[in-house]
Amino acid sequence: MGFFSKEVEYHPCEVEVSHCFESLHAHVKFLDGSVVKPGDEVIVQGPEVMAPYGSVVREQREAVIYRASKIEELWTRLTGDFEIMELCEFSFSEEVTL
Amino acid sequence: MTEVLKHSADATTVEEGLAIQEEQARFDSAQATAVAMQNTLLTPRFYTTDFDELDAVDVSNVRKDWDTLIARMKSDPNKGHFKKNEDWDDVDWENMEPDLKKEFIDFLISSCTAEFSGCVLYKEMKRRGKNKDVTQLFQLMARDEARHAGFINDALREAGVAVNLGFLTQKKKYTYFRPKFIYYATYLSEKIGYARYITIFRHLEANPEYRFHPIFKWFQEWCNDEFSHGEAFALLMKTDPRLTSGVNVYWIKFFLTAVYATMFVRDHQRPVFHKALGVDPDWYAYEVFKKTSKLSEQIFPLTLDIDHPRWQSTLEAIYRANVDLADATKKKQILRKLGAQLRAGWGFFSLMLIPSKRNDVPVSTCLEPIY
Repeated sequence: MGFFSKEVEYHPCEVEVSHCFESLHAHVKFLDGSVVKPGDEVIVQGPEVMAPYGSVVREQREAVIYRASKIEELWTRLTGDFEIMELCEFSFSEEVTL
Repeated sequence: MTEVLKHSADATTVEEGLAIQEEQARFDSAQATAVAMQNTLLTPRFYTTDFDELDAVDVSNVRKDWDTLIARMKSDPNKGHFKKNEDWDDVDWENMEPDLKKEFIDFLISSCTAEFSGCVLYKEMKRRGKNKDVTQLFQLMARDEARHAGFINDALREAGVAVNLGFLTQKKKYTYFRPKFIYYATYLSEKIGYARYITIFRHLEANPEYRFHPIFKWFQEWCNDEFSHGEAFALLMKTDPRLTSGVNVYWIKFFLTAVYATMFVRDHQRPVFHKALGVDPDWYAYEVFKKTSKLSEQIFPLTLDIDHPRWQSTLEAIYRANVDLADATKKKQILRKLGAQLRAGWGFFSLMLIPSKRNDVPVSTCLEPIY
């Protein structure tokens, strides 16, 4: 990873999308044990993974990780905390009027 | 059209359940092609944290409470609760007042996204962590959040809103939060969530004529999950006294103030929803702050002085500044926007200046959901 340069990596992954009454979730797991670091960007290749209601879709895909440069990683580490309020649930969106 | 379909939760056998789900899946795709349903793309955020720090958590000083809590979560007392039964009355979406419908759907989508994001965050912590105590906890919490999201999603489907989970194939950036900030924010979020839901639940228990949607009947079980999650974060904070002392006391005050102020502003932005429930947002805010403060005495060394003469008026000033800010942004009035930002910022600073009340944290952390 360069100080300023970005690197692009391709990794096999498993996508699981559950669109069920019991569980609504969507996860990506890298099959080669790759890990994502602050500031990295990830995109799963291919068409949208759509699970019709009542089903769980599990597919192997390829994911692209755009590695953040060292400087971007540091920046994300330093400033990411400012967005922490996103973790709080307030029942409503921030829009003043709908 | 949705109401003619039988729900999988009404199925008596697995085969019947599967058949209904299959039928619904066909119905869904037909609907999607007809674009009859409003399509809402869920856009959860993705986070990373310091996983080494998380792995280093040692729960031995709270082991007894920890094991009790985990055992209770594992026994899954709310399993089966999030199913529609005969208490789920028909909802007259067609005749619901348009403004109420808008605000109520905003409530459902925001809640669903929040549960969903919680699920993504907890699952990531489970997957990346190596500490068995911590990963087990996050796995259990991810389960609850996914379940809640599924339940809200079901209510949304009835309202003709289809949730789109196609976000995975869009580029997304991972941001970073320090573990302690995750503890403060999620602890408060879970406890205030409990206080919010239980306050509405009790109010509707006493005044059932205001219950305009059956989902409110499920608030009690829902918020008991939130309560347990909050307990877990309280214990996590208890493992390291540094998290609740020194400079972190100011961080805690910051988080309490930010969470209370944000809740006040957002609730006041949804007057029709609160009117329909027969709830005065000022009364509601005070009740929720009171309960959350009482609960947070289990771990935080301070509580905010919500009876201070400046408290309510400053919250109202922040709310007005926020309304002006949105209006100025829309009309591209740069100076007015700047003024509104300064007023909101000053309001927040002014809340932070209100002296807080010292709290001696009890030896035993765990609480029961008694409200």
